[in-house]
This record gives sequence, C-alpha cells and structure tokens, in this order.
Amino acid sequence: MFRNYFKIAMRGFGRQKLFTFINVVGLSIGISAAVVIYLIVHFDFTFDKFHKDGDRIYRIVTNYTYSGNAGFNSGVCGPMGGAVKNQVTGIEVVAPFFTLGQPDVFIPGNTAVPVRFKNQENIILADGNYFKIFEYKWLAGSAQHALDAPNQVVITSDQAKKYFPTLSYDQMIGKIVTYDTLKTTVTGIVQTIKENTDFNFHDFISYSTNQTNKTIADQLQLTKWGATNSESQLFVKLSPKTKTAHIEKQINGIFNKNYKERAGVSHSYHLQPLSDMHFNENYYNFFDDRIASKTTLYGLLTIASFLLLLGCINFVNLTTAQATQRAKEIGIRKTMGSSRKQLILQFLSETFFITLAAVIISIALTPLILKLFADFIAPGINANLLGQPNLILFLVILTVMVSLLSGFYPAILLSGYKPIMVLKNQSVPNSSKSHNAYLRKSLTITQFIIAQFFIMATILVSKQIYYVMHKDMGFKKDAILIISAPWKNLTIKKNRLLIDYIRSIPQVSLAGLGGPPPSEDGNNSTESTYMDGKKEVKIELDEKYGDENYINVYHIKLLAGRNLRASDSTSGFLINETYARLINPQYPLEAVGKQIEKFNGDKTMQVIGVVGDFNQMSLHESITPLAILKGNQTYNYARIHIALKPEIAGGNEWKTAIASMGTYWKQIYPDDDFDYRFFDDSIAKFYASEQHTATLLAWATGLSIFISCLGLLGLAIYTTNQRTKEIGVRKVLGASVAQIVTLLSTEVVSLILIAFLVITPIAWWAMNKWMQSFADRTTISWWIFVLSGAGMIITAVFVSSFQTVKAAIANPVKSLRSE
Amino acid sequence: MLSLQHISKFYQVGGTRNFVINDISLEVEAGEFISIMGPSGSGKSTLLNIIGMLDEPSSGYHYFVGETVHQLKDKQRSALYKKYIGFVFQAYHLIDELTVYENIETPLIYQDFKSTERKAMVADMLDRFQIVGKKDLFPAQLSGGQQQLVGIARALIAGPKLLLADEPTGNLNSKQGEEIMQLFKKLNKEDGVTIIQVTHSEKNAEYGSRIINLLDGRIESSKQL
Repeated sequence: MFRNYFKIAMRGFGRQKLFTFINVVGLSIGISAAVVIYLIVHFDFTFDKFHKDGDRIYRIVTNYTYSGNAGFNSGVCGPMGGAVKNQVTGIEVVAPFFTLGQPDVFIPGNTAVPVRFKNQENIILADGNYFKIFEYKWLAGSAQHALDAPNQVVITSDQAKKYFPTLSYDQMIGKIVTYDTLKTTVTGIVQTIKENTDFNFHDFISYSTNQTNKTIADQLQLTKWGATNSESQLFVKLSPKTKTAHIEKQINGIFNKNYKERAGVSHSYHLQPLSDMHFNENYYNFFDDRIASKTTLYGLLTIASFLLLLGCINFVNLTTAQATQRAKEIGIRKTMGSSRKQLILQFLSETFFITLAAVIISIALTPLILKLFADFIAPGINANLLGQPNLILFLVILTVMVSLLSGFYPAILLSGYKPIMVLKNQSVPNSSKSHNAYLRKSLTITQFIIAQFFIMATILVSKQIYYVMHKDMGFKKDAILIISAPWKNLTIKKNRLLIDYIRSIPQVSLAGLGGPPPSEDGNNSTESTYMDGKKEVKIELDEKYGDENYINVYHIKLLAGRNLRASDSTSGFLINETYARLINPQYPLEAVGKQIEKFNGDKTMQVIGVVGDFNQMSLHESITPLAILKGNQTYNYARIHIALKPEIAGGNEWKTAIASMGTYWKQIYPDDDFDYRFFDDSIAKFYASEQHTATLLAWATGLSIFISCLGLLGLAIYTTNQRTKEIGVRKVLGASVAQIVTLLSTEVVSLILIAFLVITPIAWWAMNKWMQSFADRTTISWWIFVLSGAGMIITAVFVSSFQTVKAAIANPVKSLRSE
Repeated sequence: MLSLQHISKFYQVGGTRNFVINDISLEVEAGEFISIMGPSGSGKSTLLNIIGMLDEPSSGYHYFVGETVHQLKDKQRSALYKKYIGFVFQAYHLIDELTVYENIETPLIYQDFKSTERKAMVADMLDRFQIVGKKDLFPAQLSGGQQQLVGIARALIAGPKLLLADEPTGNLNSKQGEEIMQLFKKLNKEDGVTIIQVTHSEKNAEYGSRIINLLDGRIESSKQL
C-alpha cells in the first residue's frame, strides 16, 4: 500500500513540478535553519552535562556590593577552601583550585636547551579532591595519591603527547616538567575530556606545592579573608538531598566570623550550579572561556521556528489551493472502499515524502551553512551525522513533526470530501471553499507578519549599529595603534626605550605611555571626597593612566586648566566634565585647582585640568566621572599609544611602520611576541554581538521574504487560474491590462496591510525593549515601519506580477472558448 | 437480496420539503438485471446512490444481504459495500495518475488482499477483458470505450454480488455501448452478478430482466421482461 502511495505521490509531484518545487524549497530553508540552530543550541546546552552527580556539584562564588554597585567574582578568598572543608556540614567533597597565569613550560630533553612552550593556559593547582568531583579516566598513575606531595603534576593525554611525543603514558611517569621556575614531576596521566566542557585544564600541579614554594603561597593568599581573586576557585559536591540554602548560610556565617566588612562594602557567598556555569555572564570561567547567552540561544530558536512555520504555511496554502484538483481522486478512492483513515494516511505520506526530500537537501546544506556562519558558531560544532546519534534522532523527530504540521490540515480537509458530491460532477461545496479561502488568507497574513517583523527589526538594529559606530565618542579612534607590553617581562624603563625608538619612525606623529585606552571593556574604579565648604561630596570615579601625550594622541579636548606635564608629580590630575559638574554644577570649569581628598582611600590630589566628556566604555554604558592620572606603577604604563600619520590611499606606510616597530620590539622583548592592535578595531568589537544579531536578522529577513514570496507566487498562480473566466469576460468588456493587474493585486496588498497593522505595535514594543540595553541610542523613527511595509508591498506585487501580467495579457478568446 | 421499504429523500427548503425520492419500496432478488429509467430529475441517480450507500435516505428502511442498513454505522456500512457492491460510472472516474493495472488493483488494496493474490486477480481480470496489452497505459491514453472497460473491470475485481451502473454507456458511441451491454448481460447470465443500471436508452434498458420507470421520485411503472 505504501508503495502505491509513493508511486502516486511521485507522479503527482511530476505533474505539479512548480508547486512541488516551492514546497520543497520552502521546507528546506526552514529545516536547514532548524538543523543548524539545533546544532548550536544542543552544543551549548550539553556543556558539562556528563559529570557523574552533576546536579550536586556547585561552584562557590562571591557577590559583593561596593557603594551601591553590584559586583560578581567567580572566585573566593584564599582561606575559604580550608574553612569550608573543616567547618561546613552537608558537603561530600571540597575541591579548591587555582588557575595559573600563563607560565612558560619547559621540558628538558636530550639537547642542552629544554623544549619551551610559551604562555600556556589551562594550568591549575589542584589536589586529589578535584578528581573526586570530576571523574577522569586514568591512563597512568592513580587518582588516590597522584597529587599528594608538593611539586607533582598530572597531565591530560593530549597535552602529554605534546610534551613527550615519543613516550608511552607509563614512561612519562617520573619525567620532569618545569613551569617558569617551578620544577615538578609527572605522577599521572588522565584522558583528555572529549565531551563538551569548560574544564579544559591540561596540567594539574599539586595544590600542596604552596608549602614549599613561596611565590605560589603568595599568590594563593591562604590567610587573607579580605582579598577575593577569581583565580582562586572552589568547587564542592554536596551530600545527597542537601539544600543549597543550608550550605550558603554556613559559608556566610564563617566569613562574617572571620572578617569585618569595611563601610560601604558587603560580601555574600553563593552556590552556583554546574549547569549555570556555561551561561552566566556575571562570572568568568577559568581562562576567559566563552560564555553562551541563553537569550541569544532562545532568539535563535525563535528564528528557526518562524522559518519552519513559514515553510509549513506554504505547504498548507498550496495544498489546499489545489484541493479541488484532487477531489475526483478522493471521490473515486472512497467509492472503491477507501476509508477516511486510509486517505489521511495517503496524504500524510505524500507530505512525508516532500519533507523527507527537504530534510535530505538540508543535510547536504548544513555543512555549507556552518562554514558561512563560522564567525559566530563555536568551533566544536559540526554536522557529522555518524558521530552524533542525537542529530539523527532530531532529524527523525523534525521530519515527523513537519510532516504532521504541514500535512494534517490538508489531509483532514481533502479526506473529508463526500464522494457523492465529487462524482456528480459538482464542484466542492461552496461553504467549505470560502472557509478554505479564509484560512489561506489568514495563513498568508501570518507569513507577512513574520516577514515584516524581521524587516523592521533588521532596519532598526542596523540603524542603531550605524549610530553607535559613527557617533562622536569624544576622542579620535582611527589611525591609532596600541602596543601592549608583555606583563611578565614589563618594566617602565624598557617601555621608555621602546617608545623612543617608535618616535623615531617617520610615520608616527605622536606616541605616549599609559594604561588602557580612553574606551575599553572593563573599568578601574575608586572613590574620592570633595569638601564643598563643610559638606562632604563622595564621588565614585573611573581611573585612566597616561603621560603628557595621552590626551593628545586621542584628541581629547582640554576645556580648562592645563595638560599633565612630564615634570608633574603624581598628585595633579585631569578630570572629565561630568566629574567637574559634581564639584561645581553651575561652573564646572572652575573645578580647576580644587583639592580632592581621600582619593583612593588616603591621597590628597589637585585638579589641574578639565577635559571634555568621552565614552569610557561602549555606548551600552553612560558617561561616568573620570580621572586621568600620571602613572606611578609599572602596569600604569604597560601600553604604548601611537598616533599614526594619515596613510596615502593605496599606500603601505603603516605596514612599514608596524614592521619596524616589530623589529624594535624584538630587541627589547626578545622572548615575547609582538602584540599590537588598532584602536578602531577594538571599538568595533564592543558591538560584535550586535553585529552578529544584525547579520542573523538580515538572513532571517531575506529567507522569510523569500519563502513568503514563493508561497505568494503559488497562490497567485492558483487565483489567476480560478479567475481565468472572469478575466476573459472583463477583457471582452474592455478592461485594460493595467486594470486587470490592479484587480488581481488588490488582494495581496490588502493582506499585507492587515499584517502591517497587526505587527507594527508589536515590533515597536520589541524594539523599544531591545534598545533599553543601550545608554545612548538612536530613535525608533516612523519611517522604519513605513519603509518595511512599503518594501513588502512592492516585493509582493512584483513577485505576483509574473503571474498576474501573464493572465492579464492572455487572449480572452482562449479562456472563454474552453468554458 | 435487497429490500427498500418506504424510502424517501428530501431537502428542506423553507417550510416545505422538496422530495427527490418519495416513498419508494423495491425488492431485488439475487440474479436480477434491473434497468432504472426516467426523465432528468426523476431521482434515478439518487436512488442508485442510496442503494450503493453513497447517499443516505431521509426516511425508510433499507435491507441488504440480511443486514439492516439504515441502522448500521458508517464504518460497518462501508465494510458492507466494500465487500458486496461494485460501481460503474458514466464518466468512468478512473484515477488519472494510475495505470490501467493500478486502477484495477486499487479496490483490492483497500480490502487488504496480499500482493501476490492481487497480482493473480488483476492478471486474471486483464485477461478476461482482453486488455493485457494496455495494462501500463494511463487512462488519458485510452478511448472512452476502453476506459469504461477498465472501469467495469475495476468494479468486478473484488467479486461483488451487486453491480451498480449509472448510465454506463452515456459517454460512449452506440457500438461501444452495445459491447458494454453485451458484457453486462454475460456477467448477469454466466457469473450470476446482480446488476442495477440507470439508463436513458430504451434499447439498453431491454438488456435487463426488469425495467423500472421513475417520475418525480416515485415508481411510475415496473415491467418484467
């Protein structure tokens, strides 16, 4: 029976090539989007799902408030690990560990100079408890004792092969690995985790090394309750059925017993579930690992379901439009003894064949799409069917779902025809036909609603991105190069030497030393007090460090007073206008010369100049009080800010300049790689996620318009066929081609207008919501809506004109003769 | 075999009933060949459809092979006609997308015959109607007479006891029509198939064993030949 259905389906597809094509293409697009988005979403949602008892594993994190601002730290203070282990009940295992900052790794070999691996990440200090919480497969050594003594190390298999390419795992035991100066002995090899995980550590040095190594002990700060460092992380595995609140209460109790909070600051400790780690943007993971955004993932899911819906709507529309053509077959089959169930099954299986074809096309397309979007798809995602049984399962479910969604209504409708009506050569009863047309119109309106929403959103997001990229942030951002000196080997002296070299390069117009550039993600804040007569004005502010050239490199305007001088002491500083207004709201420029007290706790400083406001962070944030200070620590002058002379179009002066800077760098920092970037590039990176949103939306828009237009074309063919006689009669009565086309297009235009009225308020609301994330934003102009509505109408009329014009210019004699 | 008692079919139009069939009673014995005649609108086709259970009467009693049809549920009714009744239509009503072979096979599929059985039965039927050479053609490639032949073959494939034919020769020329009538007569005499046909043609009606004349939904006359 199935073969019979298949045969008749195939012949039907052959006769209705265009409709079949539209159906398959529409569904393929929706399904491809669904598959790709499934891969992305599945990838992120399976992170660290494989750990045994994962629901009992938590990270202890620190939340704090500082003068009313909330802060989050993924670490805990040094003594917390030991205290939790000894004093808290309800915990099975406590595993503190410490992430080491990019040491160089040396492997002594046969040669005199050991093999060197520069700036290695994912190296931690851990004890045996780490392996009790997170179970690894041991290839050599054992979980019990591998990290018991100081100066021992456990390495994952992948990393071990890098260090000792020729040895077997057993032979690696006892070998020496040196981290900067710390010499360790290999005591175990564990299998590298193959599942999706944020725990990418590959070297585990014994935590007890702090007992013999002072540098390490200093970093761990095991006795300081007041210092919280995100490198010092604490994982716990709770005993079964323990409530998190019970644990949190004990931990906060321990902290309050040991530490007296300073005024205005408060700490609290929380248990962060393992499943939250991959998604919570408040807490960094270990080495700046990618944090996935659930909002983005849900957004993607929405886009996928909309595109799928559009494809299904096309199918329902086109199939029901053709219903009358199949009425005869249905009537005959029923008199031949077919039950309604069998007919429904037949139509559903036809839908199934179409869907299957679309799924096969999608499977072929998916790798290409992944390549196309490689920029914002995590590298671990692939469309390999064999390695991913879940993907196969998803495809099966998707095929069944889509078949049912698009096939069910047409099947019910078609199988419901009474054979007697059909066989008497009467057409399908009028009532059901108009009901049918009504449904088709609603579905088409739905398509236009979705398409127009995407259009409106795309226009607005693009407008906002254009706005933030082109807004004057208060400083110059192009033709500026920033060099970051290597923090391990950095000294001010070396930097001064380097900057002198750089100044001698002809293409450099100005260069200065400083800390972060005027605008950067992340800030460095402190507090100060200004005595306005007797009144104390507390001001929370941002700090930037720079020398006398800093504001000139960035063309930051000096409004009053003078710039910093090389000869100045570090007690004079520049403030921005926002800060000045807090000192003197009416005449901010008179802040020059004022004393600021309790700066950074205890210093007294003097304002020597006021600079114009500029955005210290992306336009998501507003402008806050700011001080520009001369540096007194090495890290204050870790970067060199260079203004380049304009490049002649097509020239490569900058390239030459950068090359010679690289040469000088090698003389001063021979061990480190030359690290530079253009300032405008990093500004653009502020809006990377918005850029991604815009790209995705543009695709969603294009595809949804495309699918809708395909459906529209199908409907236009159907309508014009239905109205052939009417068109013929009208033409005989003297209607012009233009009048006929207008007549045929009116329906489409009215459907779009209805959709427009429905979606505009919703779109306006959604846009408003999205814009809230920007402190500085463009306006939601009326023309965004008009443009998208008009654009949709023009596109739709254009697409259906292929059919309407053809019908309108046809010779009426032909159409009337056949009637 | 078939018994209709006081069967009526009407449509309510405003306050009045518009009768298509008005209180018809009819007994049909196995092996009869009945021709129903009458002018357009006299209710011939409606009566045939009621007998074939494609249409339901508004009132009356309907018995078929010992079953009380008017009390049966849709499912049982369809099972009943699937088993006992074959249809032949004026416009042939073959499925355009299927070949001759597949058209004839279709009723068997719906009656759950096994594939091998179907093959044998269809081959037998093609043989009997001498259309083996045409089995892979589509309906559009056949003449009207050939199409109707396929239609009859399809109606007979499952071995019905009762064959209902609604103007089977209406779209055919006289020679083709005569061939079809000869075939009906042969089926009736040799295979014992009970036949009820609706026809406009006096000549074709006389192939039957009884002629029933309808007028305005009533039996006007009944003549045994």
